[in-house]
Order: sequence, then structure tokens, then C-alpha cells
Amino acid sequence: MSARDSKSLSALGFLTVVESDPHGLFGGFLVLDGGGRPLEFHCTAPVKTNRAQEILFGPTLEPYIYGEQIGQTLAAATKQKPTVICTDLPPVLALREHLEIPVVLIGKGDESEEPGRPRYRVDAAHAKAQRINFELGSHQLAVAEGHEADRRLVSDRLAAFAERLDLLEPFSRIREAIAEAQRSGR
Amino acid sequence: MSSSTTQDDSQPALAWSWHAPEANDLRGASWHAEAVTPRLALELDNLRSHPSVATIGLKTTKVKTTSFWFAPTSGPIVRPAAPAAADKATPPPAEAPPSPKGCTRIRPPGDVIKLADRLFYVLQPPLEAMVAGGALEFPFHPYPYQLEGVAFLYPRYAAVLADEMGLRKTMQAITAIRLLLHAGELRSVLLICPKPLVSNWRREFAQWAPELPLLIIEGEAAKRRWQWGLSDAPIKIANYELLSRDFEALSAGQLEYDLVVLDESQRIKNRANTTAQIVRSIRRRRSWALTGTPVENSAEDLVGIFEFVSPGLLSSAMKPRNMGRLASEFVLRRTKDKVLTDLPPKMFRDAEIELTPEQRETYRLAEEDGVMRLTAMGESATIQHVFELVLRLKQICNFDPASGESSKLERLSADLEEVAASGRKAIVFSQWVDTLQTLSARLARFKPLEYHGQVPQRRRDEILSKFRNEKDRPLLLISYGAGGVGLNLQFSEYVFLFDRWWNPAIEDQAINRAHRIGAAGPVTVTRFLTQNTIEQRIDQILSEKREIFDTIFCDQEPRRELGLTQAEIFGLFKLKCPTGPIKAVA
Repeated sequence: MSARDSKSLSALGFLTVVESDPHGLFGGFLVLDGGGRPLEFHCTAPVKTNRAQEILFGPTLEPYIYGEQIGQTLAAATKQKPTVICTDLPPVLALREHLEIPVVLIGKGDESEEPGRPRYRVDAAHAKAQRINFELGSHQLAVAEGHEADRRLVSDRLAAFAERLDLLEPFSRIREAIAEAQRSGR
Repeated sequence: MSSSTTQDDSQPALAWSWHAPEANDLRGASWHAEAVTPRLALELDNLRSHPSVATIGLKTTKVKTTSFWFAPTSGPIVRPAAPAAADKATPPPAEAPPSPKGCTRIRPPGDVIKLADRLFYVLQPPLEAMVAGGALEFPFHPYPYQLEGVAFLYPRYAAVLADEMGLRKTMQAITAIRLLLHAGELRSVLLICPKPLVSNWRREFAQWAPELPLLIIEGEAAKRRWQWGLSDAPIKIANYELLSRDFEALSAGQLEYDLVVLDESQRIKNRANTTAQIVRSIRRRRSWALTGTPVENSAEDLVGIFEFVSPGLLSSAMKPRNMGRLASEFVLRRTKDKVLTDLPPKMFRDAEIELTPEQRETYRLAEEDGVMRLTAMGESATIQHVFELVLRLKQICNFDPASGESSKLERLSADLEEVAASGRKAIVFSQWVDTLQTLSARLARFKPLEYHGQVPQRRRDEILSKFRNEKDRPLLLISYGAGGVGLNLQFSEYVFLFDRWWNPAIEDQAINRAHRIGAAGPVTVTRFLTQNTIEQRIDQILSEKREIFDTIFCDQEPRRELGLTQAEIFGLFKLKCPTGPIKAVA
């Protein structure tokens, strides 16, 4: 694929949330062109949940904070609307309820087992977030239940990108960018 | 017991309240059966009491965001690729490195202050993705250290790529230029290299960036003037030798280049020379220097290079250690033993040779006569007078001028028999064309090829091609001056230093013509050293010069104070010297 071809691909969004003690949660949203180069980057000021929220929101807290609060704010900040928003965190799938853009979870295996990430109390009924899993090349993807049509849209829109690039890699850029922004803020 | 939820209109769906029973109404455990029986409700009714209410607010604040926008990348500057252009002179490694799985990221340099600028670099994709992604074609996967080199150059406005010879600085610079051009970060590049290396750069560009159009500054003065004035050529290549002749044309248009790259940048180590002054006067946004020998003689050499790269950063008054610390942000230096662990070994043999009796006698007479003359000159003796004697003695160590005898030649001849018999190739370095021509005549049975200053430029590629391709031409006689840099002779497994140069960096460059990426087997380096002569004394000086380099580019403590004093130079002949230090000897 030539550079010109890669340019013609639409923009893709990558959204993740980073926990940083003692500040709280930082959301980061990276919009890439078809060649994987950055077009836009948006990050949030730290968001902190309190104990009351943790208790009262229960298992719905993460989808609310990650998807609705952080995700929605970040998505609203973009000038160039991506054709797909990728995330590496299951709670961000909740963002789909507030946007007309497919949101897809990129990952391998059960993301809820990710070590080291703070977990909120989740009872058995909610532990397995309702998702539709599928594969695209070597990537394992999932979209939120209730959005079955996204599966095809995502496959079509991500195929060219996923063929050439690691879909998980941009999240490490977001994490580094957030760390860089934190360093420069000191 | 009852509970309810209410919705606060001002905070939809977020503000809940719950009605808690009085503490004394709780009987036993929270989920005891009695707690949910109708009897309890009846009791509450009977008490006619109102439960107290505690409200927990779940206020949400608006999430603040900071945004950064980046310019989309420009399209490539395309021209039809020349498929046969990848010359055999720069072949891919015998075994190309496997597809890299690493993640080489571009890091913002320390002198990039603005967060937006730093994030621009942080958010670039890893170089492996660019190489493997197919957006740009590469003839083969670069080595990880080469990608590190590209990642080092890419964000820098001031950079010195000082990799040891043979690590392919050329390819790293071309790839960085290519990526920056495609990203729209560069529009105009001026590359300056020694004249003999222009064709090498042309070949390397054809291999590593075939879509990029090159403009080689050459030909008649009028043509060159026109070429210098072109403002839409993305890459111009000029040679150092042209600069002084073309200074007027170069400065007439007042063009500002996005990037000026100096290859073999040790050429500007002397800040006062005309070439250095012209190079520094070129208007530019970025300045990169490529050199395998950033310090040839003294730390002053590095100051000269930095006057181009980052004027004023270094000064001659600095101690080498401080200089190294300040320069470290701008200099990337790797050595083959660190990054190419699978490169065939380089083996040194110091051939200590006795002069033939006739040579010894000629040498003795020449030395005695020379020392006597210098002594007689007293205070008026200068360094130049000493050097004249040194050169004369070194020439005798090569060949006795009267009889033509040479113990070195005898040894070389014997070694070459073995090299030729095994079907391998050898290169022999000398500092004198006369010596090379004499060797050529005396070693005629090996059908030697000569490559030195007296060989016309137009014939040089042909000579190298013959040496590379013709099986019955096992020997290349080459001068340090003409062949010390830029040549890819990795098919040679034997290197002979017939005489020694004044500084080890030049010798290293010579050796690395053969010991570089693509070397098929171990490279054997034979350094001829005639015993009890000036060569042996100079060898000690060379060892000390290596220490200067180590002090600047390594963290180790300097083993001793370095630098040659005038007394030491005169001391080569046990002469008493005039007072005052000198800074360099070559």
C-alpha cells in the first residue's frame, strides 16, 4: 500500500483511560490517519470518583465514568470524526449508547482479568459485560450487545488498518502522551 | 421498613437519597427474616414515627479536556523507481535482519519545550510500523539499532550521528530524511559530502528512498549556479570541494534549507578553514552531522563540528568530560561490538618486523643526520622540521631508497600468496602514492588495482567494480586519503596497514571499509610495525590519542592527562625543545 493509499483511509479513534495515583483517571483520545499518524489528541484533566459513587453506582460506575463522562467528552472534542472508535477497556463500550459511531473493544482474552487495574465491586450478574466477540485478522474484537450491526461496520472500516498495523499499539502512545503531559505539568 | 429513591431535578439520574430506619428498629442482622416480615411494618405504623433521612449528593463536574491538532502528512514526492539502481556496491547484509518485533519510538529531544511539539513526536507510530506497514517500501528490514538512529535523527534540529564506520550512517540519515519529507516536515534538504562519495550517496538513495528525486550539483559553473538557485528541489547533493568555488551562487539566492546534512563532518573540524566557514553560513533550520570520527586529534575537533550543529554550545576551554556531558543530548555514538554482536570478528595482528640490514643502515644514517641538523638548528627548529624527518624515516621503513629493499614487502608478499591462494581479497593501505606504485610494480603477479589521488575520479568506480567482481584481482592498493571513507569493501577479508597514519581514527576508517555490515567472514587486520624505529614511537602516540576519544564518549575516568606537548614531539628524537605547548600534531 502506498502512502497515498494510506492517506485515503478514514480517521480512526483510539480511546483509553489511565489511572494515575494520586490524581485519578485521565482519559486520552488519539485520532489517527490511515497510515497510523496522529491527527488529533485530546486528554482530560484527572477525574476522581468518591466513595459514595463507588458504593452507589456499583458495577455501573466504570461504564458511567469511562464511557459516558470521559469518553463522551473526549469524542465531542474532535474536529475530525473517526469512523470507528477503538478502546482497550470494556467499560468504554458504554460510550456507544451516546454516539452514532461504532465503538469496538480491542483485546486478547478477557479484559476484566487485566492485572494491576483497579477493579470496582462487580457482582456475578454484571461481571461479564454483554459483548459480541469476533475476530479480525489476528485481533480479537468485541462490540456492545445491542449493536450487532457494528460488527460488520467495524470489520469493513478497520480491515485495511488491522492488516498492516497492531491495533493495540496506539494505546501505548496515548499512555506515553498522558505521562508526557503530566511531566510537563509539574 | 421502607426505602425510596428520589431524583433530584437539578442532577438528573445522579442524586439519590435513601431513607434509613432508626438504629433501634434494626433487629439483629440486616437480612434476618424478621426484618422483612409484615409484623415489622405494622410495628412502625404503630409507632407513628418518621424515619430520618440522610442525603448523599453525587455531584458531577464537567470533565475538562486539552486538545492538540496535528497537520496531516503530505503526499510523497514520487518519481518512477529505478529498479536496477540498487548497486551491488551497497548490497543488503548477507543475512538481512529478521523482521523487527520491537517498538522503536521517536522521543522528543530535551530542547523541544512546547508540550504540543513534544506530543507530536510521542504520538508518532513506532518505526517498525512504518517499515512493516507498507506505506513506504524498504529493501529489507533495518537493524534495530538503525531504527534507533532514525528515531534519534527524526525529531532533532541539531544532531551528530557518530556511529562507528560500517554501521550505515548513510542509510539511517536517508531513512530519517525520507520519513520527514513524507511527513511534510522537510521540503528542502542540502547534503554535502566529499566528492568521491557523491556516487555512493546516489546509490544509497536509489536503494533506500527510490521515490525521492535528487539534484546533484555538478558540471559547468553556469549549470551549477542554476542548480543552486532551484528552490523546488527536495534534495540537493553537493561536495565540499565545490563550496568555495560556488560560494557566490550558494549565497546569492539566500535560500533557506530545512535541513543541511554534512557527511564526513570531520572536514569542518578546523573552524577557521574556508569550507567550515561557508558551511556555517548556509541558512538552515536543521543541522545534522555524520561522522565516524567526531574526534580525530583533540576535543577541539568536536567543537568545530558543533559550531555547525549548535553554535556556541561547546568551547575549546571546556574539559573533555564537560564537553561530553553537554554534547550527549545531540550525539549518538554506537560501536559495532555493541550493536552488531553477530558481525564477524575483527582480528588484529601487529606484525613487528625487523628492518633488513641495508634498510637499518640507511635508517641509522638518516636519523643521525636528521637529529644532528635539528640539534644544530637549536631554538629555530620547528615542528615542521621534525615532521620532515619523521616522514623521511617512515619512508625508509617502507623501502630503502638506495637498494629498494623492504622487509615489509617481503612479509606482505608472503601473506598475499596465502590470501590469493584461498581465493580471498585483500586491501593494502599506505599514506604515500609512491609507496603504492612501488608495491604495484613489485606485486605485479597479483594484478593489483590502485585507488589513490592520482587515479582520475571517472575511473574509480570501474576499479572498485573490477576488484569486487574479477576473481583474479585479489589485491587493491589504496591510499588513506582516497579510500579512507565511504567505500564499501566488505567482501575483503584482509586489510594490511603498510604504514601507519598519524591518528587512529583514520586507521579505523580504513579498516572499516572491510569490516562492516555484509562482511562475509572475519576480517584480519595486519599492522606493520618496524621494530626500534620511529614507527614504534608513533604507535605509542596513537594509543594515547585513543584515550582522548574514550574520555569524551565514554563514562570511564580518563587514565591520564592527554594531549601531546611540543616536548613530546621533539622527544621522539630526544631533542630539547622550545617552550610552550602545541595543541595538535596532525
